[in-house]
Formats: sequence, structure tokens, C-alpha cells
Amino acid sequence: MPTHRKLKQSAPWVEISASERDWQRADPALLGTMYTQLVLIRVFEEFVLDLASKSLIHGPAHSSIGQEGGAVGSGLALRTTDTVNGSHRGHHQFLAKTLGYVAPEGLDPTVDFSGEVKSLALKTLAEICGLDRGFSHGRGGSMHLQWKEAGAIGTNAIVGGGVPLAAGSAFAHRFANTGDVAVTYFGDGATNIGSTLETLNLAAAWDLPLCFFVENNLYAVSTNVSEVTAEPRLSARGPGFGIPSWKVDGMDPLAVYLAMSEAADLMRSGGGPTFVEVDVYRYFHQNGPFPGSAFRYRTKDEEAEWRARDPIQRTARWLVERGLFSPEELEETTSRAKALLEEVGSVLLEQDPDAKPGVLRIRPDEWPDPGWVDVGVRGDLSEFGDAKLLDRADFTGETQEAKFIDVVAGVMERRMSEDDSIVIMGEDIHRLGGGTNGATKGLKELFPDRVLGTPISENAFSGLAGGIALDGRLKPVVEFMYADFMWVAADQLFNQIAKARHMFGGDDDVPLVLRSKVAMGTGYGSQHSMDPAGVFATSAGWRIVAPSTPFDYVGLMNSALRCNDPVLVLEHVDLYSSEGEAPIDDFDYCLPVGKAAVRREGKDVTIITYLAMTPHVLDAVTETQIDADVIDLRWLDRASIDWETLEASIRKTNNVLIAEQGALGTSYGGWLADEIQRRFFDWLDQPVQRVTGGIASPSISKVLERAAIARSDEVVAALRKMVD
Amino acid sequence: MATIMRMPELAANTPEATLVAWLVQEGAEVQAGDPVATVETAKATVDVEAEVSGTVLRLTAEEGDDVTVGRPIIVIGSKGETVDESRLSDSPEPQGASLQSAGAVHAPDVDTALDTKADTKADTKSPVERTDDDLAPDSAPGLSPVPSATREASDTVGARIFASPLARKMARDAGLELTQLTGTGPNGRIRRRDVEAALSSVATSSAESAQVVAADGQPGPSGEAAVVRTAVPTGWTDIPNSKLRKAIATRLTESKQTAPHFYLRGTANVDPLLELRARLNTESGTRVSVNDLIVKAVAKAHQAVPLMNVTWGSEAIRQYEHVDIAIAVATERGLVTPVVRNAETLSLTALAEATRDFARRARDGALRPDELDGGSISVSNLGMFETEEFAAIINPPQAAILAVGAAKHRPVVIDGELAIARTLKVTLSVDHRPVDGATAAEWMREFLGLLERPLRLVV
Repeated sequence: MPTHRKLKQSAPWVEISASERDWQRADPALLGTMYTQLVLIRVFEEFVLDLASKSLIHGPAHSSIGQEGGAVGSGLALRTTDTVNGSHRGHHQFLAKTLGYVAPEGLDPTVDFSGEVKSLALKTLAEICGLDRGFSHGRGGSMHLQWKEAGAIGTNAIVGGGVPLAAGSAFAHRFANTGDVAVTYFGDGATNIGSTLETLNLAAAWDLPLCFFVENNLYAVSTNVSEVTAEPRLSARGPGFGIPSWKVDGMDPLAVYLAMSEAADLMRSGGGPTFVEVDVYRYFHQNGPFPGSAFRYRTKDEEAEWRARDPIQRTARWLVERGLFSPEELEETTSRAKALLEEVGSVLLEQDPDAKPGVLRIRPDEWPDPGWVDVGVRGDLSEFGDAKLLDRADFTGETQEAKFIDVVAGVMERRMSEDDSIVIMGEDIHRLGGGTNGATKGLKELFPDRVLGTPISENAFSGLAGGIALDGRLKPVVEFMYADFMWVAADQLFNQIAKARHMFGGDDDVPLVLRSKVAMGTGYGSQHSMDPAGVFATSAGWRIVAPSTPFDYVGLMNSALRCNDPVLVLEHVDLYSSEGEAPIDDFDYCLPVGKAAVRREGKDVTIITYLAMTPHVLDAVTETQIDADVIDLRWLDRASIDWETLEASIRKTNNVLIAEQGALGTSYGGWLADEIQRRFFDWLDQPVQRVTGGIASPSISKVLERAAIARSDEVVAALRKMVD
Repeated sequence: MATIMRMPELAANTPEATLVAWLVQEGAEVQAGDPVATVETAKATVDVEAEVSGTVLRLTAEEGDDVTVGRPIIVIGSKGETVDESRLSDSPEPQGASLQSAGAVHAPDVDTALDTKADTKADTKSPVERTDDDLAPDSAPGLSPVPSATREASDTVGARIFASPLARKMARDAGLELTQLTGTGPNGRIRRRDVEAALSSVATSSAESAQVVAADGQPGPSGEAAVVRTAVPTGWTDIPNSKLRKAIATRLTESKQTAPHFYLRGTANVDPLLELRARLNTESGTRVSVNDLIVKAVAKAHQAVPLMNVTWGSEAIRQYEHVDIAIAVATERGLVTPVVRNAETLSLTALAEATRDFARRARDGALRPDELDGGSISVSNLGMFETEEFAAIINPPQAAILAVGAAKHRPVVIDGELAIARTLKVTLSVDHRPVDGATAAEWMREFLGLLERPLRLVV
């Protein structure tokens, strides 16, 4: 008969509640501020719902009415330098954090709201209405509220999408040793999504001061939490990852404050992440002014039970019972808050001249300029103002033949030794003599704190790096062992990192470098052999570089590291083992953004190529004796294409071939061919021709893999056809 | 309700026609069958007849308009009736349906995902098919499949001329018409090299004419650019190309580009033939021309050598049961080639009657489009102009054309003795794709024999 020994998780899991004594003894100023914040947020949300019902808010308005206790209770336990982010339902958390910033001494329920509070309400409401006066000039709206200065680093419309980003913020706090913490607010619906679960693990593994704060309001839209998990006590998740966890009644703001204070103390003292679950209730449906019972997924009785435990009434009761304020004084607070919102609303709204009296419209001047629609997708590159920019022709340093892979590690070593803000992370990059290919060779020994081997969690560590980049104190470099893993991290790469700058108004730098290996030809098969350039090129925020020589790698990596936009650096495994001219000791130059290299000059055909296809193209030109211009793009994103060089060549040759190696479906050249035929239509003597790999992703079998990848033979065939 | 008559499709693949003249005015009373308008296409000028009797309520096109097939041209109804304007909207009547039923739209042999509608609409008879140039098989990596409309030889009139964007721009800048150019790219696409070739030949000939002009003491244009876009036209008149002129240009250019011609020359002693003709004309009372006899001989030769009674197609050579012969008729507007059907079955007099009718109506511009289609061979006779001999360009998709010179007294050798006889020189141009040299030579021997022993033409 087997014996059983009961095991305990290493991390504690407790339920915490506030006793009557706690309420009796709580600091009056704390309770006054708590009440005022609760009231202001409630009135703000009611005002928003009213506007939504009048169609004055474009898009959803996810009301937090009923849930204020969690946000206010936790926010009061934070410093102004702590950071928070949240989900689509984040008005209350945003306001709680930013009120703490504009009124660090607290709010007195009997005093008029300050100009700073009015300004905050105005800018927040303007953003929710999509107006220029908002924090992100109306681009973010209700679901993307950000005021970094106040520690509100941006709410998120992807469920769980903000969690890895908050981990990046926590990473930056820990690295700076400030004792600050990050809080990521999310709902019960987000506890079952990969980004949250991956980040729970990653934050615990790396001891990040990050609080996973779940507002369990029981419903993901209409689906009850007990329907979608066997453990509806969501804080049970924490100990599974080694994270100390608290469960608390979120309708009791003081209890939340006490829980959050304990969690914050633990995090500030180096205890790693925490998990706080607050049980709250949204009085209304997912969005809009109707209660959930109107949609029949819950009962009016249930709603009445929860409303009876309203956090504002509970706080008011204690304020009166303790004789701190009279009921009339507390009523006045609500009136003042309503007056504030009316005042703020009148700045943004006016009588609609085309409608009957009382019908409002947005004041026309408040809208952002439509011409601004695409401004700020990327940065202005002013960070290159003092860069040492040069190309091979201008390079005066000594060079030697060197292996490509050694240059990869060499330039990173130089940058990390001169720039303490660079941190690099990826799977196994800290072992095996520099990862699976030696690209980070020697770096762990030199910079033990800044070279991080990650769990196999691309979404979490990509997002964490995105959070670091948005924080701005550190410069993250991420390695993907294989390019295909981008699909695993797709939300963070494309919804978060790529869109962040534009979505939050155009001013947020996102200085992140993603080194992605392209491994087609190594026999790793269908799921490890893609060229990701084509997919990244569809995502406007990314810049893409594709070095084909060691010399270019140095210059392009330096440019990537200097750039304030996310930059994908493509590294082809075929090139790693190649040798080429490389600097001996000058690893400090940047290649100019958006400058292609003409590898060979000719008059009959323009061949546009990049990365490991470049040497194949040059071979094909030699073999066919066709007099071709060979242009190595180096910069692949739409914003960084060297149109000047392309135009000069196309006007000369009138024939264009775009040559790349990878599969047709995700191939890169389609958009470029489209752009070329529209820009240079009258200069083309035949359709823009293309060489790509096959339709399917390359297979494991050596002969099938070769057949699926385009190399020089395919270029030879295409060239012969073109000049026929 | 009033009847709306629409621009008829006068011939396959004729997307529009010019309304040359109205033969009635609004308000006029017409009987069904009365001609109401004269319409010109590339192939013919035709009178459109009223479909119903009634009052002409509305003419919806101006004289000189190019009207898309299927668009309303005239409304006939009862006097005073109002016209429903919505029915006059531009949308052509269900033209597609009739084309479908006529089998004109070929099933595309391409991926079903490819949208072929645009192609079939633009060029209803052009099959959409894969070509080696533009379509790599799915299994071949590297090149994206694209659909391409290829044209069959018989369907090119009015069809799009393929030219690269660069070639179009160069031609436009140089004032060259694309119809003047010969494309050497895929699908006959005109490319840069073709425009350059045309420019250099223009430059050469103009350099010559410039010298001539200079010799007259007048300043001549110098350089190719000046030649092709001279600003002040003095000393010549530009005669705008009619549809017929353009059709001739396109068709014959294409013939010379795509049909590899070879030529057989022959001479016949036609003394017996001319004697026969004289006897027929005096004794039978009908008028038979030398050309009628030649056409009859062609018909007989075709029966004897059926391998000549063919037309070329990319997938098959089509051999005909009957002999249809096109007869070249010069008119003021240009060359037309009405087709004598079943020529082998017609008596000489019937044949003569038919060709005379053709010639008359050709000069009046009154041939019907269907009278211009088909045939495996043409006969072109310039003998009446005293031309001794010449070679003609095949009228595609026919396999041959016979060029006939003047019958003249010439020295001949008969039985080893020098003598004088009237001889006729003919040149047969043959498309080598469907017909080989020996076949054509056999035909020529048969044909010459018929001319020299002409009794077989009347029995």
C-alpha cells in the first residue's frame, strides 16, 4: 500500500478581511481620501454611461460601477512612482492611480476639487470621448488610458495583454533598485489566458515586484467564472507558481487597502511577485447602461445582494459612525463631484445646433485633426542626431576576414560594455557557449545580471521586454531561437509592441530589439523554417533590418540598438558560418536608416533581395552573365525602404526581380512589388517578377526542404525568363 | 410599350460600332424592316432595320458616335407615347447570356479561384488559358501564377494591344500608335525594344526623306524626335484611319507576324481559258469574268487537294467539307473580302452572279458581317491594273491567298518551238503552319492544269 505525505505549496495563500477594529482605527485622512475617490470615480463613470447612452462616446464604455473598492483600496497603498496597468475595464484603476499622483496628500470630502483634479477629469473624459485634449489625443479612448508621468502605464483591450508589459515595468523597477512595484489589474476572464499564466511563472522565476491583481467580478461578459474553471477562487493560482496570494472582499475598500499594503511591503522588500484577488461586482452589463440581469445571465436578486454591500455606502457609514463627517457633508461630496463632471463636460460638449434643445454634440474644435491619423506610427529618428553614421565606403577603420557569428557576439559585447541599460534575454542564451548558435558567446560571463535565460514563454518574455522598452530606463534585446515562434508571441509583438507608440499618441518610445533567427535549410522542418520579414512588414510599428555581411551586421545592430522604435534584426543561420570583411576594433558605427546597398551594378535587370538570398543572387548573376543591378535592401520595413536607390536602378533597367527564399504565403516581396508597380509604372518593361520559396513551409526531408527554398538556381531560371 | 432597339453585335468580338447616319428622324413612321440607321464596324457598313412598326420616339445616339454593343439607339412606339427613361440606362441588355449560349466563353483552364469575369467581358472570345510565359505550374516555386488572356488569330480585331507600361509611355512620347508597332514579348507584348526598333527605322527612313527635302532647298527635320512629332504639319494631310483601315492594318500585320508565309509561283497558258470565256459570254448569254473562272479553278483545286482546304488553330488544323473562297474587292474605303460559300457546288453562272453581287455591295458598303467571315483561301486579282505578278498577305486564319496578275501575250515554248501565247502569272502565299510545300505544289500543279485545260471548269 502506497504511503501519502501531504505536500504544501511553498507560497502562502490567505484570505484577509478588515475587522471593525480596523475600520475604527484607520487613519481619518485615509478614509476621507478613500471616500472622495470612490465618489468621484462613481460619479465619473455615471457621467460616462450617460454620454454613452446619448451616443456621445464612440465604441464601448466598460463601466466599473460597483468595482471601485478594489481600485481605490489598492491604489491608496501605492506610491506615485509605482506603476499600474489594466484592462478594457480600467477607468477606475486609472483614476485611482492618477488621483494619487495629482493629490498625493489625499482628498478631503468637504473641500472643493483642485484644478489638478479637474484637469485630470477633463483629460480623462476627453480621451474616453476620443478627443484631442485627451492623454493620447483621443487615439486610445476608453480602453487605452495612459499617463506615464502618474505611473499609469496604459490600459489594454486585449484580455491579459497588459500583464507581460507590467512585468517589464516591474523588471525596470527591480533593476533600478527603487523599491517601486508594478500592479497589473485584470479580470477573472484574464486568469485563463496564456499571457497571464506565462507571466505568473516568469515574474516568480525572476522575483519581479509585480502584483497580479484580479478583480473577480464573476463574469467574463456573461460567462460565470465557475463555468470556465474548476477553481473559481482565482488566487489559488498564485501558490501554484510560488507566488504569495491574498483573497479579499473587494466591496470592503479598507480590506483591500490592508491586503495591498501587505503585498506591497513584501514586493518592496524583494519578496518577488504577489497575487491579490478581490471579489467585486459590476452593477452593469459588460458595457453600456443596462444591468446584467437585463441580459438574463444573472438575477436581479443577485444584483440587489451585491448592491447592498456597496463600497461607497460602507465607507460613508464608517465615516459617519466615527463622527468624522455628517451625512450631509458626505452628500455634498457627491454634489461637488457631479458639478465637476458637468463643468468638465461643458468644456467638451455643446448644444447640437441641428437638434432639439438638450441634445448635445462634441464641440467641433475638440476633435483631433484627421490629417494626424498616421502621425507617430514610428519615431522621428532624432536619436540618430549624434550617431556615428557611415557606410562601407566611408569606413576608415581596419578590417579583417571574420566569421559572421563572431561579429554578432562581438558587437553586442561592445554595446553592453558601453551601455549599462542593455539587457538581453532568450531561451538558452546564457548557456551553451552563447546560445544554440554562439550568438551571445561570452556575454553571460561579462554581464551576468543583464544576460537572462528565459522560460519557454515567448509571449511573456516578449511582452516583458516590451514593458521594459516602454518604461525607458533599460533597452531590451530579445532573441527568438526560431522565427516561427513569433506566432506564439504574436499578441505582444503585433498588438502591443508594434502599436503602443501610435495608440498612446505617438510619443512613447519603444526601443526594443528582437533578434530572430531564420533557420531554413537546417532541417528543422515546417515549424522552424520561416522567414518572418513578410509578416513583420505588415505591422507598421516595426522596423526591420536584414544584414547579409559581417560589416553590415555591426552597423545595423548598432542602428537597431540606437533606434527608439522596435527593430527586428533578422539573422540567417546560413550566414552565421560565413566569413566576410568585418571591423577589427571599430564596432561603434551605425549604418544609416533606410539605406540599401548596391552589391553589383548592371543595366538590364534590377534584382532586389536581402539577407542570405543576397549571395545566391550574386551567384546567379555570375552564372547567367546577365547584367544586373543587385540591391541588398538591408532595411525592409515600409518606412525604411531606400526608394532613391530603387528608383535610380529601375529607371535604368526597367525590369525588376524581387528575390527571397521563403514560402510564398508569408513572403515579403508582395507589398514591395505592389508599391513598385504603382510608383514606377511607366518605367516598367514587364511585370515585377518574383522569386520565392514554395507554397508549403519547408519539410524535414533534405530534398524536399531544398525544393521548398529558393536559392541561386531559382534566380537563374527567373532571370533567363526575364531577358528572353 | 415602346420597343428599344439596341446596337446589334454585327460580328463576333465587335464591342462597339459607329453610328454613321440616321435614315429616319424622330417622329417618323416606320414599318418593320425599314432601314433606320447606317452602322459601321471594322468589317462592314450595315443598315439597321426597324424591328417593329411604329413612330420613332427617340434617337439616343448622334451620328458619328461610337456606340457600345447593347446600348439603346432608337425607341419605336406609338405616337405620343412617353419613353421610360430608366429603360434607356446604359446597361447593355443581357449580352452575356447570348454569348454564353453561343459557346463563346471558353471554360477557363485555370484555378477556380481566378476571377475570369473581367477577361471574358473585355474579350469575350478569348479563352483564358495558361501560357508558359506567365504561369508557372503550382509545383514550381518562385513564380506566382497569374492569369493571362491569350488571343486567337481570328479574334484580334479590336482586341487590346499588349504593351508594357514603359513601351506605352515611350510610344506616347514619340507619337507612335501602338498599332504601328510589332510586339516581340510574351503574348505579343510590345516592349521597350520594339518601340526602339520602330523609332530607329523611322529615324532611318526620315533621314532619307530629309535628304530629299533638303535637296529641294527646304529645311528638313533633323533627328528622330523631330520626325515623329513635328509641330507644324505643312505639305501633307493626315487622313484619320477608319475602322476598316485599322482593321486591315491590325489583321495583316498580325498575319505577317504570326503566319510563316512561303510562296509558290506559277504561269499558265490561258489561251484556252480566254477562248472558253468568250464562248460562254457569247453563247450562254451570261457574263463570266476571268476571275470567276479562276475562282472556280481554285474551288476545283481545293477539292482535288483537300489538305489545302484548311485553317490553322493552335490545337488543331480545321479541314472543311465545302470550299469557301474569299474574293478581294477593292473599294474606296479599302479592301474587303466577301466569302463565296460552297464554291465547288456553284455553277459558273451562279458563281459569277454571286461575285458580281458581292462586288457591287462591297462598293456600296452594304455587305453583311456574316458574308465577311470564314473561308480557307482568298483570291486577289490585280490583273485589271496590268500588274504582272505580285505576292499577297494571307488573310488570317485562312491558309493561303492566291495573287493573280494580268493575262498578257508572252513568248512561250510549245513543243520545243518558240510561240506567242497569253499567259497568266500567279503567286500562292501559303501559311506553313497548316500546309507544307509539297501539298501546296501539288495544288499549284492541279490549279495550273485546270486553267490550261479549262473544260473541266464547266463540267
